[in-house]
Amino acid sequence: MSIETTAAPSTSVVGRFQEERPTKLGTQIFQLLTTTDHKLIGKMYMGMAFAFFAFGGLLALGIRTELWEPGLQVVVSKDQYNQLFTMHGTIMLLMFGTPLFNGFANYLVPLQIGAVDMAFPRLNMFAFWLTLFGSLIVVSGFLTPQGAASFGWFAYAPLSDTTFSPGLGGDLWVFGLALQGFGTILGSVNFITTILCMRMPGMTMFRMPIFTWNTLITAVLVLMAFPPLASALLALGADRRFEANIFDPANGGPVLWQHLFWFFGHPEVYVLALPFFGIASEIIPVFSRKPIFGYKTLVGATISIAALSVTVWAHHMYTTGAVMLDFFAFMTMLIAVPTGVKFFNWVGTMWRGSLTFETPMLFTLGFLTTFIFGGLTGVILSSPVLNFHISDTYFVVAHFHYVMAGTVIFEMFAGFYFWWPKMFGYKLSEGIGKLHFWLMTIGFHMTFLIQHWLGVDGAPRRYVNYLHEDGFDWMNQISTVGAFIMGISTLPFLLNVVLTHIKGKKIEVDDPWGYGASLEWATSCPPPRHNFHSLPRIRSERPAFDLHHPEVALQDHMLAEEPAANPRTN
Amino acid sequence: MGMSRPHKYQLHIAEPGKAIELTPELRMETTSGRSSSVIPQVPQRARRGRRAAAAGLALATLVLAGCSPAQQRGFMPGRADGQEVTNQTERITNLWVGSWTVLVLVGLMIWGLTIWCAVAYRRRKNDTGFPVQLRYHVPLELMFTLVPVVMVLTFFYFTQRDTREIEMHVVEPDYTVNVVAKQWSWDINYVDQNVHEPAGIQSFATGEVDAEGNDAAADALPTLYLPVGQSVEFRLDSRDVIHSFWVVDFLYKKDMMPGHTNSFQVTPTTEGVYAGKCAELCGEYHSDMLFNVVVVSQEEFDAHMQELREQGNEGQLGVDLNRNQEEWSMREKHDDAGPRYTEETASTGTEGENE
Repeated sequence: MSIETTAAPSTSVVGRFQEERPTKLGTQIFQLLTTTDHKLIGKMYMGMAFAFFAFGGLLALGIRTELWEPGLQVVVSKDQYNQLFTMHGTIMLLMFGTPLFNGFANYLVPLQIGAVDMAFPRLNMFAFWLTLFGSLIVVSGFLTPQGAASFGWFAYAPLSDTTFSPGLGGDLWVFGLALQGFGTILGSVNFITTILCMRMPGMTMFRMPIFTWNTLITAVLVLMAFPPLASALLALGADRRFEANIFDPANGGPVLWQHLFWFFGHPEVYVLALPFFGIASEIIPVFSRKPIFGYKTLVGATISIAALSVTVWAHHMYTTGAVMLDFFAFMTMLIAVPTGVKFFNWVGTMWRGSLTFETPMLFTLGFLTTFIFGGLTGVILSSPVLNFHISDTYFVVAHFHYVMAGTVIFEMFAGFYFWWPKMFGYKLSEGIGKLHFWLMTIGFHMTFLIQHWLGVDGAPRRYVNYLHEDGFDWMNQISTVGAFIMGISTLPFLLNVVLTHIKGKKIEVDDPWGYGASLEWATSCPPPRHNFHSLPRIRSERPAFDLHHPEVALQDHMLAEEPAANPRTN
Repeated sequence: MGMSRPHKYQLHIAEPGKAIELTPELRMETTSGRSSSVIPQVPQRARRGRRAAAAGLALATLVLAGCSPAQQRGFMPGRADGQEVTNQTERITNLWVGSWTVLVLVGLMIWGLTIWCAVAYRRRKNDTGFPVQLRYHVPLELMFTLVPVVMVLTFFYFTQRDTREIEMHVVEPDYTVNVVAKQWSWDINYVDQNVHEPAGIQSFATGEVDAEGNDAAADALPTLYLPVGQSVEFRLDSRDVIHSFWVVDFLYKKDMMPGHTNSFQVTPTTEGVYAGKCAELCGEYHSDMLFNVVVVSQEEFDAHMQELREQGNEGQLGVDLNRNQEEWSMREKHDDAGPRYTEETASTGTEGENE
């Protein structure tokens, strides 16, 4: 083995090899524009995603304010409201969630498998810029005279055709997203190659951290879901610009579009969920001081979820009268099984552990309690009998915010707090972090819990207005107040970032949490340009833990050498 | 081992550096997943909270006993007097309440387990060392895979049974109503009587209220009449984009696709006025696309049909009309947006029949 495998000294070498930080602004910008370093690109993805998160969040506050009472309060025309929710959905899914996955995966995967960089660093850079500029093209619709796209983020034909949505914003939406989608596809090609080909010696597939596993499976899912989206978008673009008639009602186009869109759209929600499940699976063991419970079942569950997720797309289409209800209902219900397995694995990891509640763990517990409720409403929605009533209502809105926002946002912040020391060398303040967590959790549940009742009671989604006799006022007002609390909760986080970088104490150790498991905790904070000066031996799925707690590792190791007493090693 | 730096949670090992011998006792203990004497253990706490669980159960019983009718329906909309609105609403509500009961129990169990872990297994101030490093437990993992599979199969059985009932079509329904959606209103045709409601005119909800405190926009909504106790087949069409036909209290909706006729059957069982809404985004005035369904006695229904006939609303407002009610086909209207066919194909008539 050519890699030095002695235990890494925790403090001394790092300083000397630490890369000189460029100080001049011009140099820094030049570095951002030209970098192929997976760590910097990862941070750029995260920065971009967070900026779009803030923008999409502002749009959401506009939506919620508009719904305060009957009549128009915020928007000048009803079409403007349609622009708000269309762009809110598009941004949150494709410019916030997906790039955020790319960000975390970019930063962490090479570190977790002991690689120096991604397999194709320049492709990586290209993918980032495609994603960024594609996204900017989509949101630039707001600058056109007729405004941004307003046909909803699933752009159902024929509403999305120029006959009914003539504005330039629609064209920018279609072609911008296609471009952006190519960025995601190329990024995933890169992840798969990196994970399959660049693992360090000893890092077998079944010793990879769960986050890396989930990235691999997510990337495979992207390769199945995004090409259909890209082709469908280009076909829609051809309809809009060249009168191609692909989605013409005379040819059954409306249902064709729905099939193509949801064949992308359903896997897409798992593209968003799986990496963030991975983050939860990284954080829970560290703060429970135990290894992940049921590693292989967890991986198996993730693979099952991914496989099932491409067989359930038409559960978004129960009310079209054009799909086989029983088949899609059954496949959808089946997804509950591997999802449940994941839950039991997480609980099993905490079971008889020794839990502490640092901010990353708090956010992860917030995710667990939130997501389970979204999962339950998902089971309800999978039944066509019940779906007929609540489909396209606020019940669905509440459901997917519980599963999507509950996963992506909670685990994004969990990941930020967890890996901030690794990425920047400073630990975010725990006190402000906990304030942030509680504000966000209260705001979140206040916003979305009540929407289940709204939907069941008869509030369709995407309505700019409602009648006085509907009696939706008080429920909408609770939701709106909650949305503002949630919006405000971002401020402590931003404050935390600023304060930390002004007054924070430099992290001198490799593993500031003390019980880190995967390889990124076996290098300095932040890691050197090529990630590692020395690599530890990989003898389990917790190499950094083995390195820092050899006495615990030794026990496992000895058990492994005694075949008779070998019930627990992988 | 190069690890000697001070640590926040300093480990307490009896004799650092001494080789650990895998004694038969240790082997047995670790094999059975119990604590070993080598690595200091976090003390296991006695099980607690039985009393709390019993109190919770008692509280839940009390809460359930005091449920209002709306709560017993699981907040499903319906009539205040508790009468079923259609022949299907009871079936839907039962599945809804039954599913929720099981799911809430599952949810409470998982929430309970999570919170239990957070409370019972929190690291106390003076705790040192590590808990048992348990990695897997095959029987347990099989159990929590197979039990959900059984639950899913059960849920699917009931779902499938009810879906079949709800989607069933009898050969000859008593009445057929053809509803044609358009941006942004509804045309309602009574097929058997060959009459139609006046062409739907879009409402503009502004939030203003009339003298009685009702929304001013609600006054002029299209109204669909149905006779009570008679089976009705709805035939749903759209002239432009996708809409969705939703009568809230019927607990059912179906999309209206341009170029394709959808249908469903239902029997309203109680007279009354029920709110209807478009449930699929259809453009700028989506939220104004409202209507009412009025379920009346057979005599009132017949009288209303006669009234429509006397008003001259005979015939049907078909899907071939465009939303301005002029005699243009949808295809021709679309042609105004730009050239869609070359002159050759137009002259040879290969563009196909209008819907």
